[in-house]
Amino acid sequence: MTTQTLDISPVGRVEGDLDVRVEIEDGYVVNAWTQAELFRGFEVILRGKDPQAGLIVTPRICGICGASHLSCASWALDTAWGTEVPRNAILARNLGQIVESLQSIPRYFYGLYAIDLTNKKYQNSPFYEEATRRFAAFTGKSYEIGVTISGSPVQIYALLGGQWPHSSYMVPGGVMCAPTLTDVTRAWSILEYFRTNWIEPVWLGCSLERYEQIKTYDDFMAWIDESPNHANSDLGFYWRMGLDIGLDKYGAGVGKYMTWGYLPHEDKYQKPTIEGRNAATIMKSGVYDSFSDTHTLMEHTFARENTIHSWYDEGTENIHPFDRTTQPSPKNTKDFNNAYSWATAVSHIEYGRLETGPFARQMVAGGKHGESWQHYDGFILSMFKAMGGASIHLRQLGRMHELVKLYRQAEHCLREFRLNDPWYIKPQEKDGRGWGATEAARGALCHWVELEGGKIKNYQVVAPTTWNVGPRDSQGIRGPIEEALVGTPIYDPTDPVEVGHVARSFDSCLVCTVHAHDRKTGEELARFRTA
Amino acid sequence: MANVLWLQGGACSGNTMSFLNAQEPTVCDLISDFGINLLWHPSLGMELGSNLQQLLRDCILGNIPLDILVFEGTVVNAPNGTGEWNRFADRPMKEWLSDLSKAANFVVAVGDCATWGGIPATAPNPTQSQGLQFLKRQEGGFLGKDFRSKSGLPVINIPGCPAHPDWITQILVAIATGRIGDITLDELHRPQTFFKSFTQTGCTRNIHFAYKATAAEFGQRRGCLFYDLGCRGPMTHSSCNRILWNRVSSKTRAGMPCLGCTEPEFPFFDLKPGTVFKTQTLMGTPKELPPGIKAKDYALLTVAAKNAAPNWTEEDIFTV
Repeated sequence: MTTQTLDISPVGRVEGDLDVRVEIEDGYVVNAWTQAELFRGFEVILRGKDPQAGLIVTPRICGICGASHLSCASWALDTAWGTEVPRNAILARNLGQIVESLQSIPRYFYGLYAIDLTNKKYQNSPFYEEATRRFAAFTGKSYEIGVTISGSPVQIYALLGGQWPHSSYMVPGGVMCAPTLTDVTRAWSILEYFRTNWIEPVWLGCSLERYEQIKTYDDFMAWIDESPNHANSDLGFYWRMGLDIGLDKYGAGVGKYMTWGYLPHEDKYQKPTIEGRNAATIMKSGVYDSFSDTHTLMEHTFARENTIHSWYDEGTENIHPFDRTTQPSPKNTKDFNNAYSWATAVSHIEYGRLETGPFARQMVAGGKHGESWQHYDGFILSMFKAMGGASIHLRQLGRMHELVKLYRQAEHCLREFRLNDPWYIKPQEKDGRGWGATEAARGALCHWVELEGGKIKNYQVVAPTTWNVGPRDSQGIRGPIEEALVGTPIYDPTDPVEVGHVARSFDSCLVCTVHAHDRKTGEELARFRTA
Repeated sequence: MANVLWLQGGACSGNTMSFLNAQEPTVCDLISDFGINLLWHPSLGMELGSNLQQLLRDCILGNIPLDILVFEGTVVNAPNGTGEWNRFADRPMKEWLSDLSKAANFVVAVGDCATWGGIPATAPNPTQSQGLQFLKRQEGGFLGKDFRSKSGLPVINIPGCPAHPDWITQILVAIATGRIGDITLDELHRPQTFFKSFTQTGCTRNIHFAYKATAAEFGQRRGCLFYDLGCRGPMTHSSCNRILWNRVSSKTRAGMPCLGCTEPEFPFFDLKPGTVFKTQTLMGTPKELPPGIKAKDYALLTVAAKNAAPNWTEEDIFTV
């Protein structure tokens, strides 16, 4: 049997520079390596800077999910400084993050992902002509609507923060803005526009309310059959075409999923602490292990990074991110037996390598763990069980399913603002350590900060793509995308669109794979153990 | 018809995301109505791997005419001037850039990273990043002081972190529709049409600026952000309050101090402790004043303005 090695540089249409090496036997990928090819050193830049420098710098880690970085940076300082965050400010931060994700979903689906359905590989599919009509780059009917309207939700961000991307309107102790009634009513109309011009007529082919009745695999299948409007909506069409071309047959990944939880509750997290976080978010944190079908809570103390296969001179141990010292290797030649990526291998001390992202969030949302008042949704878990596991196709559905829930949360924020109450309570700056976490559109994001002598001693980030695109760890275990690539059929090695499908199904964002750190002692780390 | 190739160096994709928010024209309109042919873009292009490498080589060889090269992100030179920390299509990005810039009719630097070096070039600049033709205010940059693209123009700088989508699309439209001759560039190669006036021009808090009424804390619907919160609006060249962001607002309108992100010095003071969101003052007077005003005149103006300030400057002016 001959093994063909394919080096793809770049994969493209993921954010940032992703290279992939795959080994192919008999038309299937049997081994894979993912390589992040850019180092920018934000963690090095932040050392010694103003405590609030992260509010300016970290959103610039990623222009796609800057609001998520800003949110993390703010919550990290909130916990370090022991602030009080007014209810309005929690809602205003959440709203900013939500609308950024609402932007990301259609922009990702049409701009980065669905174009591949027009690849010549699928020309014999009965769906092909219609796919081309809808999804062709720039000219496709749905592409044009979807990519253009993706700019609408972030108009709401601009009402709060002046612009999107790259506002720093969230600060420890609250937000800089104080929206007026005009801002709120304008935001409502922008949301309505997004719903009535894309979500309902184009994406769902039905009302939000009808879609929200779907709770299980059977409900979803019945929904598709119920009306031509459903079957021919972009969701219905994509689902049917994906099954026809086999997108449900590969890209499974590691079968274990994590989320930090997100959207702090406006009444339960006004005096934020690291320890109090899990009980104070609306969308609960957790790990779902599909092999044992169990859900547990996620804590930041469970995270470990390993750099043995990364271009850092930082040893071979699994260490908590607080203990890292960012030491980029001067030489970054590709050595697939040793180091081959700027990403690190992130793992959970018990569960090992985990997938993160909107699909992972939905798998966790189907758990009965967490607080009684936290969000529960068993739909995607039901799909997972009925379809016998994960795939590219299900990963997309998880992402798109979240859209409707985020829309409702945005409405909630607008409804709950009390315009005459405070938006900011000036905090007292002090030294200390903080941790902020959230969920960017593409997965779990967190920042650790340590302040000493009135400046940043240590700042570090573990981004969603660090989890997903990481290289092998010290045991040689593949990262989630590497694992998901194994088993992928390759129809034409000169145009390996399937590798693109798998990599893009994670909505990878390579610009985010940055890290930060300074060496810490074991005792100090113990302060962060909440178990 | 203009072939556009858009590449990213040390970038966050923020300028791409900003570009995708464009509305007049939209990105799709730009392509279908203005004859812009996007050869490739990291977030939007179709080719991957060796097919893309071939396309890039064809541009360099002139087999595919390259009308406009758009570059987003810094030029990464680390480690030791090799650029290996930013490899792209199997080669250091700076080598592609060097070859492609010679083939392009116009070279457009989009965003602070590509113009001045931006955040990645902040001390200690771990990636040895440069802008295309500047590093901060210092002319030269990666392509050198004397670089001119085939059209005879230097790199057209569209700074901002990110650049406003209209600034980007309107320059592309100007080139594609043959109006580039109307563009005048300032000494930093910025189109004056966007960068002659100040961020403050059009700010809704100008009336508070005039009466020296301050917003001493965040979360206020009144007060100027210049006196206490470090706003750089009076000193920054941009059209943020004339051509609104996302069509609805600007940072200063929303209550966020301008960070001066279209200027080469951004982030100012290299983010040293005590400089973020705080006005640097000397005996209570801002150390940096709007250009052209003398400190003595400013002090006189302050006394007069404070005496004349009407009561409503302390009220919620943009009220619920």
